[in-house]
Amino acid sequence: MLPVIQLGPLSLPTGPLALLLAVWAALAVGAWAARREGLNGDDIYNAGLYGLVAGLVAARLAHVIVYWDAYRTQLLEIFGFNQRAFLLWPGVIVALAVAGWYVYRHRLPLVKVLDAIAPGVLVGIAIADVAALLTGRNAGAPTNLPWAVSLWGVPRHPVQIYEALAALAVAALALWMIARGSRPGSAALVALCGYGLSRWLLEPFRAPEASVTVLGGLRLAQVVGLAVALIALWGLGRLASRTD
Amino acid sequence: MRPPLDSLLIRNVESLTMSRTRWNILIVVLLIAGLAWVWVNRLPAGDVSAAGALPPAPAVGHPAPDFTLTTAAGETFKLSELRGTPVVLNFWATWCPPCRAELPELQAASQRLAGQVAIVGVNQAETPAEVQAFAEKLGLSFTIPLDQSADVSRLYRVRSLPTTFFIDRSGIIRQMQIGPVTEATLAQSMKTIYP
Repeated sequence: MLPVIQLGPLSLPTGPLALLLAVWAALAVGAWAARREGLNGDDIYNAGLYGLVAGLVAARLAHVIVYWDAYRTQLLEIFGFNQRAFLLWPGVIVALAVAGWYVYRHRLPLVKVLDAIAPGVLVGIAIADVAALLTGRNAGAPTNLPWAVSLWGVPRHPVQIYEALAALAVAALALWMIARGSRPGSAALVALCGYGLSRWLLEPFRAPEASVTVLGGLRLAQVVGLAVALIALWGLGRLASRTD
Repeated sequence: MRPPLDSLLIRNVESLTMSRTRWNILIVVLLIAGLAWVWVNRLPAGDVSAAGALPPAPAVGHPAPDFTLTTAAGETFKLSELRGTPVVLNFWATWCPPCRAELPELQAASQRLAGQVAIVGVNQAETPAEVQAFAEKLGLSFTIPLDQSADVSRLYRVRSLPTTFFIDRSGIIRQMQIGPVTEATLAQSMKTIYP
């Protein structure tokens, strides 16, 4: 359990720190893959960083709009450092829109860009999984296996590590496909399919209390993971048979 | 001349680019196997709440660990006696500048939501005299339990001040914030426990 990293007098919250590390790793891997595809790696960094900054601004702005009553009396808080004063989804949507606008504006081949960023995103997800273990989130189901970790007083599956390893394995597969020069779009689809399958396969190792359920007890991550994997597989089939 | 192993491998992988029929069979097989795995791992409705399995711990989704302390006003405070009322449980100290910055927000909230939400500010390891003088200076009127031995801070794994827990009516922690709350983040987190 390490929700706060203590550096002398400095308390750094693990969550936001891991988020920054994950974004940086995602961009670094994405830029590397982009160069392998004959793109300019700097474009990946630029699109990612513009998206990140725009997303942060939008997430704060949305918070200000929703909680305007609170901000009205203390306008300086709009620019405050409070790490909770953000709304997630407006930030994500604007970040994606701005990154997409960059790709469009610079006439980058969208499919190749998606191929390049897919393994990077998976590496970022793996980092977020490790952070989830450190902060005690997404607890695993109880088990007596020798590699169980103790969380909340019970030995549990280190499911966050299973998920991180699966994400890294899928990232490696996608990178291998890029390095091998496989058809544009296939690395991104393999990444989607693999990640969907990993969530579908591994979700049952999460503690029941850490699983969101739908439709009378089905685990949401499994349902969505399977659906994404099937759609990606269908896309791969289309891609493979296009030139056959 | 035999072609190098690498290109053989690639050709084999390429020859795996199956016919449309085979792709469709693969998709149907995955669909069936997939639904089966989802079905065997479903969680029976009511099971989770019946298990209520998470032990008390200072984390979101867990029941808030109970404790008893003496308040600055000399009364006995027991967290579990507030069951039925949403609780904002804050940890602070007089020497901590961000705590000083947020205490007026908590005071304002305690007046605005009097009788509806309990604002509790646990003081960490200071003498009653110090705390009382400080509370009078800032005009704090909410409950201030004194955690003189810092046992409760340890129980809640408070690593840095201020830290705030938002506890719902049934005693479950719904949100926790490390670092100071502002009026806006207080309103946001309050949504998870009230009304």
